[in-house]
Amino acid sequence: MSGEPGAGRRPSYLARIERILDHARDTRSLFLRVVEGGRPRWTPGMFISISIPLADEMRVRPYTIASSPEDGEPLEIVFNRVTGGTGVAWLFERKPGDEINFTGPFGAFTLDHAPERELVFIAEGTAIAPIRPMLRRVLEPKSGNPVRLLYAADHADHLLFRGEIERWAMAHPRFHFETVVADAGYEALYARIIEEVERRWVGADNDRTRHFFVCGVGAGVLSIRDALRGAGYERRAVRYELW
Amino acid sequence: MARIRIVFESGEPEQIVEFNPADAPFQHDGQPGSILDVLLGHHIHLEHACGGNCACTTCHVIVKQGFNKLSEASEQEEDLLDRAPGLTPTSRLGCQAVVDHADAEIVILVPRYTINQVSESRDE
Repeated sequence: MSGEPGAGRRPSYLARIERILDHARDTRSLFLRVVEGGRPRWTPGMFISISIPLADEMRVRPYTIASSPEDGEPLEIVFNRVTGGTGVAWLFERKPGDEINFTGPFGAFTLDHAPERELVFIAEGTAIAPIRPMLRRVLEPKSGNPVRLLYAADHADHLLFRGEIERWAMAHPRFHFETVVADAGYEALYARIIEEVERRWVGADNDRTRHFFVCGVGAGVLSIRDALRGAGYERRAVRYELW
Repeated sequence: MARIRIVFESGEPEQIVEFNPADAPFQHDGQPGSILDVLLGHHIHLEHACGGNCACTTCHVIVKQGFNKLSEASEQEEDLLDRAPGLTPTSRLGCQAVVDHADAEIVILVPRYTINQVSESRDE
């Protein structure tokens, strides 16, 4: 806790890295077991704020919890290497047994209960992290409205948790899972996602009652938002988080 | 010089910061010249759990004076503010509200509850 004016009293935790899982050469999960601070509670979609010690200062960077509250600890966070990303560079250097300080969980991009409508998730790469526990939550009841996931990546290796999600699709007839892989750069990837979104949920019918949860990187997410809202979906039915 | 007076709903003593908006950024989180940037750069803490990236509402502030001296809110900021506890017509996210008038006189209230958490307390 800081002694600066305005510093609050935030729940803070000390966690130990229990396990590391490499999804791809540049994509990794850490599994965190809290050793001090109590038991964190969260809603699917929330993130934790990890303290990253740099040379001359401490920075705080958010990492979404990719695991489900239903499973409790360890908490799983997933991240990939990004150019100039000091936070992930530090995280990539951590080893099992190392300790990490974090506060939270926080977040406004959350889903506690499924809306009484068809629900569409759209994710790209590691931004599947908040969607994964949301899916688990909404698929918990045996019956319900249709649930769809359109999951995009620049390479098949970056479609994370694919086996698990495919098993969910097999087990739940109301859940439909589709992937898009386009290895032609960021702009082309998001152009392809928007094309798929417009074909499925704008051009195919006049139903504008669906609810959307969109998570991805950069301004492409805002373009998806604008395509859906511009087509007549309610503003609050199009939720998104931009990394 | 621009001025921000910070009132804390928690009852902590008020703070006043005087600064030149042209000197922004004052540190590395939030939009350069934003309320968050100014406060952190002058050693006044404002929550910013997402690192000042417009991905949460923990830097929610209520602007009591000088609302029209701040940059206009984007749709993304408005979407997030919808989820902020204690939302008011003059609510802003500190990481996005840029002080863009050199002589701005801003007064903000930092709400007691600014965090999107499951619970304020934790299980023991």
